[in-house]
Amino acid sequence: MTEISNHEIIFDYSPFLIEEGKIREFAKAIGSTNPIYFDAGMAIEKGHRAIPAPPTFATVIDFWNERDFYQLFQQIGLDPNHVLHGEQEYEYVQTLYAGDVICAQAIVKERIEKKSMTFFKLETIYKNQREDIVLVNRSTLIERAAASE
Amino acid sequence: MNELPVIRKQPLKPIDLVKYSGASGDFNEIHTVPGVAHEKGLKDIIAHGMFLMGWAGEAIAEWFPDRKLSRFKVRFQAVTHPGSELFISGAADGNKGEIIISDSVGEVKLRGSFEIQ
Repeated sequence: MTEISNHEIIFDYSPFLIEEGKIREFAKAIGSTNPIYFDAGMAIEKGHRAIPAPPTFATVIDFWNERDFYQLFQQIGLDPNHVLHGEQEYEYVQTLYAGDVICAQAIVKERIEKKSMTFFKLETIYKNQREDIVLVNRSTLIERAAASE
Repeated sequence: MNELPVIRKQPLKPIDLVKYSGASGDFNEIHTVPGVAHEKGLKDIIAHGMFLMGWAGEAIAEWFPDRKLSRFKVRFQAVTHPGSELFISGAADGNKGEIIISDSVGEVKLRGSFEIQ
């Protein structure tokens, strides 16, 4: 097992406005019928300040970004065609709401080579327009060497 | 730990993955284009891991409608093809719980843990 020092790799996503319509589309796509995603009045009744984002919504912030996940891949030197998503963890600090503008920064915490695979451990921190940390996202991506396919 | 009611999902359809691709922005064609999946040695398109995690998140909200999720971690264990009928099961004790998504023959697709407030 070889660990390559790669702590200097930092990627800044572009600021991302969370839109109500995008939350609705995402909630429908994951089969949710929870009214808090579709009706602001219901969300407020449940103690929210606006329509909240579902727990896995950060994917939208990463992939629909002007500086998206694929640009991050390119910066790390990862080929998206050979990448598997191994693990995903979220630490919810504050709820993300429609109307929030989120700035996210990803850091490659670890890069471990093991046999024909490389494990990338990424940590992404999301802050809202008040500069509060709202979410911490830790993911493990596995790159398989092309020869192993 | 106390077992939570099992949630049975409708068999996965290709259109579900098309919708999730559009909603999430993850347009990797391995999830939507059979020819691309075949080139990769897969028998059919596969569900996005994050699509299943999305389901799992909604299951936790269904089990605990008045609690707030504070931590959620999963491991993706096996690929899922259209036609699969998936079951979400879980168990919880106080603020901590575990969740599993498996298919009708018991193959585990996703295994995770969560904390609620």
